[in-house]
Amino acid sequence: MVRDAVAENVAVMEGALPQRRRRVAGRTWLGIAVAAVLAFFLVRPQGRGLTSAARPRPAIGMASALAEAPRAGVDGTTGPPLSAPRVIDPAIFRLAVRKVVLDPGHGGTDPGAMTRGLREKDVTLDIARRVAASLVGQDFVVVLTRESDETRSLQQRVEAANAARGDVFLSIHVNSIPTQERRGVETYFLGSAGDPRAERLAGAENSGSGYSLADFRHLLEGVYVDVRHDESRRLAQAVQGRLFAALIHANPQLEDRGVKQAPFVVLVGTEMPSVLAEVACLSNREDTLLLKQESYRQEIAESLAAGVRGYAAARGATTTFARHDAGAD
Amino acid sequence: MTRARTETIERLGMTVTKEKTSILHLGIDLGTSRSSVSASNGERHVVESFVGWPVDMVARKIVKKPVVFGHEALEARPMLDLHRPLERGLIKEGSEKDELAVRELLRHLISLTNPDGGQKVFAVIGVPAEAMRVSRQHLRNAVKGVADSLMIVSEPFAVAYGMDALLHTMIIDIGAGTTDFCVMNGRYPTDDDQRTLTNAGDSVDEQLMTLLRSKIPEAQFSIHMVRAWKEQWSFVGEPKRKVEVTVPVNGKPTTVDITTEIRRACESVLPPIIETMLDLISRVEPEYQEAVRHNIILAGGGSQIPNLAATLEAALAEIGGGRVKAVDDPVFAGSNGSLAIAADAPESDWEKLAG
Repeated sequence: MVRDAVAENVAVMEGALPQRRRRVAGRTWLGIAVAAVLAFFLVRPQGRGLTSAARPRPAIGMASALAEAPRAGVDGTTGPPLSAPRVIDPAIFRLAVRKVVLDPGHGGTDPGAMTRGLREKDVTLDIARRVAASLVGQDFVVVLTRESDETRSLQQRVEAANAARGDVFLSIHVNSIPTQERRGVETYFLGSAGDPRAERLAGAENSGSGYSLADFRHLLEGVYVDVRHDESRRLAQAVQGRLFAALIHANPQLEDRGVKQAPFVVLVGTEMPSVLAEVACLSNREDTLLLKQESYRQEIAESLAAGVRGYAAARGATTTFARHDAGAD
Repeated sequence: MTRARTETIERLGMTVTKEKTSILHLGIDLGTSRSSVSASNGERHVVESFVGWPVDMVARKIVKKPVVFGHEALEARPMLDLHRPLERGLIKEGSEKDELAVRELLRHLISLTNPDGGQKVFAVIGVPAEAMRVSRQHLRNAVKGVADSLMIVSEPFAVAYGMDALLHTMIIDIGAGTTDFCVMNGRYPTDDDQRTLTNAGDSVDEQLMTLLRSKIPEAQFSIHMVRAWKEQWSFVGEPKRKVEVTVPVNGKPTTVDITTEIRRACESVLPPIIETMLDLISRVEPEYQEAVRHNIILAGGGSQIPNLAATLEAALAEIGGGRVKAVDDPVFAGSNGSLAIAADAPESDWEKLAG
């Protein structure tokens, strides 16, 4: 073990990431190939009149990440060994955050969670509009994946975000959990579901995508090292921190359910740092009563906007040196 | 073998022998809140992880030092540019002052161990697992040159190594910035064996601060006072006594009952910790899950929260029961473990790590 620790340190000193040794058994070339195909279909623009020429930004999302994905063997006994993912300098993300894509969850024929006269789709749209109002005028450009009560598939949302070439993606949802007395806020970024409840939640939010959660868990094993991963985690921490800190005043029983990882489709396909925030619990009576208050929804929106601003500030929002619209990329 | 080696270190190095050798081995726990050092010459020290520089000539004249550390820095904070460099378990990227603070803190810890002139210093530095995972290159650069040779390891691994708890064990290291989980499978832990939550001591402080502000908006208190109350009175579960503190309310010292707020703030970290603990157990090979359930070790400052181990055991009862125990010496468990690693690393390895 000491030798492994030394080897890891030497690798870091030499500027190479140490071998990431996973215990995933049974991962095959076939699995990676299927993942690549799936990712391609998730992220490619479809029927929106966007040609490759209209998308000058180099693809640094799933498709390219998978193209450079490790060639997996089975526990290193057959086939080539699993090599360390290529490290991309995080400095490439030290770009200005200007364009924010907001994704109000559900909509149209998909109401999301419902209780006591409230529908998730209405709440998320209202909050998204408020977040947009807060960010616009502060040097942010905001794009909504839906602007009214309309049905949008998850794939369409992903496409809209990628086509808009957003710098960050924030999907807004309202939770519903079996334990009705519990209430809390939580923020997700892409990763393997850390607990069964997160799996159930991801399954529910992914419904209609055409892919089972089991598929995702298997297929995504190799792509969590995507370059966006750490940035998404930072964004999630910024959003979750502000959200909880702001709401605890008006909602003293609120739980900080933390930053978590789960394979939501909208987080898989988007090509930018992406998070999904569950801003309240419709399954909780008090939360529902609060959500009916305009002032509480405004508080939620302000805290989400503050999270985005905080993240942007940390990434150097004022030092713009690679704007999409300047053709710098 | 490891146990015998550890005992040897404790007997010969840390407590009895002051034999002069050409190499001084150090184990350092670089924590968000406190940092400790254990040396092979028997020296052990702990300082709060605050580093401050006098803000101007007047301040320098008063503090009489170019840089101030720990409690002394905290006390003199109005006069200092104060840094706590590993907030949230990560060294802040892009902040030269925080990088400098890490270096100064390490130099200070090393100086406390009184290395003899000409003695080479080989140090193992345990850092929050999140810092290892996210910014190891950055961290490595920040600590470059503070010792003749140094190795960085994750804190929970250092704790496990020092306790010889290397097989079928889970370490839950509840620090200030992060709670780190590490399942030891008899080999060097990979990223898959480790988890990090930001629900930790600092988040308890923030929640307690918020709850108290809501309860007594007119009272005046600082985050440092709140932290001190938490460290003195924290608990989970049913209260055994009333917790009362004295705070100035409109300038007048007033006694306030904060029992409920302390409990709620401390219990706020329970759901994510329990969820993560149960999830990590479920990912262990089935035949070893029971062994891991019965070998859960709490480390870090948070391990000393009264009734925490029992509460986690109650959660384990849902999946067949288990045993959770806190380390005896939360302050030095990490640095002692790092020292054990330092002593075990052969000199040829230290040569590779020089610079």
